[in-house]
Amino acid sequence: MIPASRLHRSAPSSRATYPAAAEPLEEVGAGGPGDVAAALAFALARLVSAPDERRPVALVTTADWLGERGRPFAGGMRAWDLDPGRLIWVRTRREGEALWALEEVLKSGAAAGGLATAAAPPFVATRRLEFAAREGGAVGVLLRAGPAEDLSAARRRWRVTALGSGTDAFDPEALGAPRLRAALLKRRDGPPGAWDLERDDETGGLPVVAGLAGDGMDAGERRRGPRRLGAA
Amino acid sequence: MTVWTRANGGEDQDDSAPPDHAPFVLVDRGARGLVLHALNPAARALGLSRGQSHADARAIAPQLASVPAEPERDKEALKRLALWAERFSPAVAADMALPAQEGLFLDMTGGTHLFGGEAAMLAELRARLAKAGIPARLAIADTPGAAWALARLSAAPEAIAPPGRTREAIADLPLEGLRLEAEALVLLRRFGLKRIGELYGLPRSGLARRFRGEAGLRLVERLDQALGAAPEPLEPVRPGPAYRTGVVFAEPLTHIKGVALRLPDLARTLGEQLERDGRGARRLALIGFRVDGRTTTIEATLSAPAARPEHMIRLLREKGLEHLDLDFGIDALMLAARQAEPLSTRQGKMGEDGHAASSEALAGLIDRLQARLGEGAVRRPEARESWIPERSEAWRRAGPDAPVSAAVQDRPRPILLLDPPEPVRTTAGLPDGPPVQFTWRRAQRRVVGAQGPERLGAEWWRSEPGLMNRPARTRDYYRVEDDQGRRYWLFREGLYGREDADHVPSWWLHGVFA
Repeated sequence: MIPASRLHRSAPSSRATYPAAAEPLEEVGAGGPGDVAAALAFALARLVSAPDERRPVALVTTADWLGERGRPFAGGMRAWDLDPGRLIWVRTRREGEALWALEEVLKSGAAAGGLATAAAPPFVATRRLEFAAREGGAVGVLLRAGPAEDLSAARRRWRVTALGSGTDAFDPEALGAPRLRAALLKRRDGPPGAWDLERDDETGGLPVVAGLAGDGMDAGERRRGPRRLGAA
Repeated sequence: MTVWTRANGGEDQDDSAPPDHAPFVLVDRGARGLVLHALNPAARALGLSRGQSHADARAIAPQLASVPAEPERDKEALKRLALWAERFSPAVAADMALPAQEGLFLDMTGGTHLFGGEAAMLAELRARLAKAGIPARLAIADTPGAAWALARLSAAPEAIAPPGRTREAIADLPLEGLRLEAEALVLLRRFGLKRIGELYGLPRSGLARRFRGEAGLRLVERLDQALGAAPEPLEPVRPGPAYRTGVVFAEPLTHIKGVALRLPDLARTLGEQLERDGRGARRLALIGFRVDGRTTTIEATLSAPAARPEHMIRLLREKGLEHLDLDFGIDALMLAARQAEPLSTRQGKMGEDGHAASSEALAGLIDRLQARLGEGAVRRPEARESWIPERSEAWRRAGPDAPVSAAVQDRPRPILLLDPPEPVRTTAGLPDGPPVQFTWRRAQRRVVGAQGPERLGAEWWRSEPGLMNRPARTRDYYRVEDDQGRRYWLFREGLYGREDADHVPSWWLHGVFA
């Protein structure tokens, strides 16, 4: 008779563990036009994922991106474990400037990380960003407006959609902690997967929601998922 | 030392320089028609003089060519020349006190040895001015007043009054050298006085009393200033830089590459100067002195004082050396710290290893970003005393130190704020409750969950109007979630039936939650 634990382990599973630690360069895309805020919050969570990090975090935006979506509100980022005192906002006009600014931020070594909004970053630029992030010991995140399939040097490509809030333990009428679904479309260190994450209001962290963890991908994504994207 | 540039209307002479042998004048509008404002030597030889009416002058010399004077542009030209003269001295004043006697004052105290002595310096300055097409008379003396007189009235175009012998040096000059008004000069002539030296022996109180009003006091003051008995501070065209270093080229430099090659040396020297005093530059200027008597400058501002040459070089490169307009070449290049501050203020706290290094790296990063993207492109949030969300935080220009952190706000706040808020159309269930659905940017959203209200009263002590230029009203904020899991921050402005009866309360979207 085989012990249950062995059975569980040997079962063929596509379940991947949620990679809490960020790679030097990652891409985060919004699932739809309404998911930009969720994608931004998830990207910030990736930036501050390293523990005991006190260096600032840079937010590089282009004029186009800002015009549509309002301005970053530091008071609201505190809930995502980002101390406003660490925040630096760099406003640029064009995407080329934004990518240059992010590269400067990453390689300076003065920042824990930076994110830049980008519509179509050239592959060469992403390679440069990856090198810069490694050089400066920082985490870079490219925030894309939608799902992208172009070439990129980013080690991971996420797609983030908003989910209905969880329930509040004390008040069934109230909105609970915000949730979002993060699908990892491309990664190097394992199979792709998707996770439902809920903000922990105590720590500001983004733990995987108990009972929802696992491969939440639908069939279409499963087919697309393993394809190697870019020069990974 | 003073330079008297007789190139009145230098601008015009540059553009279409009239030949010296043909009489040429600049005319200006006077009380009674056009009057002569400036004359070339040929016109002066015909017996014309400044202030004469243009009609009289045309009667004397029918072939007279005349062009309207542009005193404002003349002043600008003189200022530009003063900036150019900063290569000789950090304190240069443009002297425009008396009409037709405009010139420059250079404070050369302790600086002439850099140019091989006083005589060599005067010769070099005059040669460089001549090359730029500016005829000039120069003099060097202990006081600005004496130098002024010598430059304009001595026989030689370059005059030097030996230190401590000012009295003798200007004794033989005419009284015009005292920078007096025309009426005072006329009166002095009536007394039979012609030379400055003749005033030395006269009793000063009697001299002052001879004149009506203030002219007498003015005469005595001018005399004292010329002889150094009364102080005469110069007003430089701009405050001299705290630290500067320069290099002079034998041949004019016409290519920007040459500048790039010299920059490291200059930065190193300036860095050493700053380091020695424990200071760092806050504002840097790289100034090229052009052969045509103008300057070309690029400036960079630093977010924190820095003395490291690499940082200064990188910053100026980022600003773009190509913005230096070399034109026909520059024969001197200067790097100056226009503003310097103590470096020690940024030293890390004891025991925080690497704090100083990382804050220096951050300051460097901010400078580079600002140099390329423009001042104000890099910002950090600062909490403000207000509970109205759009006023509660300001994005301030980034400096070296972390800004004051906001008071901890435990109320839910959106991650993106729409400023100004955008109007939405709503269908409300209850008048005082959250909407059941709303339309924002032409898309309808069905509300499945809502929390609120969080009531924020208007800040009645502020005079600025609220939304749509109406008086600010109370806002009730709701956090609502639509059926797709997106969370919005809506507020209803105004209370039903209580505030401002003319307007029914309206709904606005103020932000988006993650």
